[in-house]
Amino acid sequence: MTPPAPSRGRRRYSFWPRLVAVLLASTVAALGAPDAQERRYTIAFANLTEEPGVTLEGTGFIGREVREGFVLAARLLPVDLVLYDNRRDPKTALDNAADAIRRKVDLYIQYHHDATTNATIGARLHAASVPVLAINFPVPDAPLYTADNTAAGRIAGEALGEFAARAWRDRPVLAVIIGNVGARDDRAPERIQGVVDGLMRHRPAIRIVTLDTQGNPARGGELLDRLVAGQAGRKLLIAALDDASALAAKSALEAAGRLADGAIVSHGADRSIHGGMSERKEIDPSNRGSIVIGSVAFYLDRYGYDVLPLAVRMLRGEPIPPRTVTRHRLITAANVFVEYPPSDMN
Amino acid sequence: MRFKWLLAAVLFVFAGASVALAQSDCSKIVPPSPWGPNDQTGATNRVTPAVTKAAAAEIQEGKVITMSYLLTDGIPLFGTRFTKSILTATSLAPGAAFGENQLTYMEDTWLSQSHVGTHLDGMGHIGRKDCYYNQTPMGKFINQNNMTKLGLEHIKTFATRGVLVDMVKVFKAAGKFKGNSACKRECLDKGTVITAADIQAGLKMYNVTLREGDILILHTGWGNIFEQFPAQNATYNSGEPGIGKDAAHWLVGQKVVAVGADNWAVEVIPGEDPKEAFIVHNILITDAGIHILENVRTDLMAAEADRTQRATFFFGMTVPKAVGLTGNFVGIEGIR
Repeated sequence: MTPPAPSRGRRRYSFWPRLVAVLLASTVAALGAPDAQERRYTIAFANLTEEPGVTLEGTGFIGREVREGFVLAARLLPVDLVLYDNRRDPKTALDNAADAIRRKVDLYIQYHHDATTNATIGARLHAASVPVLAINFPVPDAPLYTADNTAAGRIAGEALGEFAARAWRDRPVLAVIIGNVGARDDRAPERIQGVVDGLMRHRPAIRIVTLDTQGNPARGGELLDRLVAGQAGRKLLIAALDDASALAAKSALEAAGRLADGAIVSHGADRSIHGGMSERKEIDPSNRGSIVIGSVAFYLDRYGYDVLPLAVRMLRGEPIPPRTVTRHRLITAANVFVEYPPSDMN
Repeated sequence: MRFKWLLAAVLFVFAGASVALAQSDCSKIVPPSPWGPNDQTGATNRVTPAVTKAAAAEIQEGKVITMSYLLTDGIPLFGTRFTKSILTATSLAPGAAFGENQLTYMEDTWLSQSHVGTHLDGMGHIGRKDCYYNQTPMGKFINQNNMTKLGLEHIKTFATRGVLVDMVKVFKAAGKFKGNSACKRECLDKGTVITAADIQAGLKMYNVTLREGDILILHTGWGNIFEQFPAQNATYNSGEPGIGKDAAHWLVGQKVVAVGADNWAVEVIPGEDPKEAFIVHNILITDAGIHILENVRTDLMAAEADRTQRATFFFGMTVPKAVGLTGNFVGIEGIR
């Protein structure tokens, strides 16, 4: 059965709306399909400092590791990076932002410690319509990605508390917090508060002493040596604020013949304390009996993997939270090769 | 008292048994082989007589191009790996020759790990947990000397077509080349991810289409750092350009027999995801039975391909029938 042919006029009437609909649909499809012709973004990252040997955030990580993390993370994203070094210097930081504005970057990631400079840079970038994402130090009105020192400290304190509850239930215990305790830029006070909270959750009446290395881990060894001499028969729960202090503390206990009386948890999980299959460092599957129970990871070497996806979401117009924190985790001999898979076995 | 000891002994035996039985369900961790539940061969099943015959057509001039590096003291070795030979030459001592014909002889003792120099990764090299190729629960098939399943003796032949892709040319043509200052000839920098699209672009450069049973060889230029041993060993081992997961999955779909490169792992190091370890090895070997060839010398074949605009060759490589080995150093020749 053949359907009746539509009249000529009717056919003409239905053609144009259909054509318009098809054109509209294809335009909408093209706009709504970012994967088909994905746009690449130019993102500037201004690092805190890349001065060799200068460590960041009260950990053993250095600026080069942060930069390399960004470069590696960018491989997975439609991102071309422009890299700057703020050199911990306000003028350099301002110059870097000015250069990025000249280059018309799509987004600026600012990692700089000085609040006044950050406010100025934030205002200038805003005026140039360049969105900003801040790392660890706020830039007004910009989303912040930051370490959560209180949470990290709490993980360390709880790990020590759990260990004591398991191994030293009825023994007299002294808690020691060792490191650069006055380093406000590195948020040491927050880290310490977290440690205290974590310890007290298990032993509310625990006695806690702090040993200030003033940034020199070797000094921590001397301080601990003196403390240990007056604590015969007492077990020591040591929260080191960084990995270097943890290793110095372990050496001090070893020298004093008191290794069996200590348990240490540190912060950072940098390469000084863990390594590959062949490096056999302190936190290693083959060293499960170490008194260094673990180190709370700060992942500065992986900031790029967290921050760049946030930046891309911002550029795509997606909402991101005003504050995103590092997911700290205790790295031990049992999980170090999962968190930091070695690449020296192939 | 005696009962207590007996009880302790029984508990010990049960505890040990529970550890021994604590195996993974490999059917949930590794896919089955397309060649059946008893397959221990992997991708060399694809090298049929027809495939070898077709590959023989690549021999047009009889020109043999070496694709192996020298295995000698000082070459880059990973971690604690070693390779060392000891020469037995006692019959060279005065009066030690045999017979009126004064026969003398020499032999070697080779103390070496198998994954050194230009080498092949076999089916038993890489797994996920205790699960290896073809859902093999490897814990049941090892002793202190070797594997009792998936050893090199099960491999068929590699007499097939080789296809070279010059990744240096691809990245330069795409305007995204980034080199490394340690290379005396052009090389891709470590950490450079080679994607499926990059490989396809490289194949297109020489108008080649991969076919089932091929061996793909990637020239990244990184091998130039190997050639500078021992001075640049640390740099060589510090990372490498190589294929990413996307390329690995694509190659599995192409049904190749092996993937080789002038680097130490074929895959990009540092990897794409910092929490994954040698994931491309899992994708190719564990999941698909595709061999990996490491430290392949590619510069000579790359130059030949560039000169002749032909990137295919007959792939000549014999793997010793070494029972229970996970891999071995090999000699590779590309014949044109």
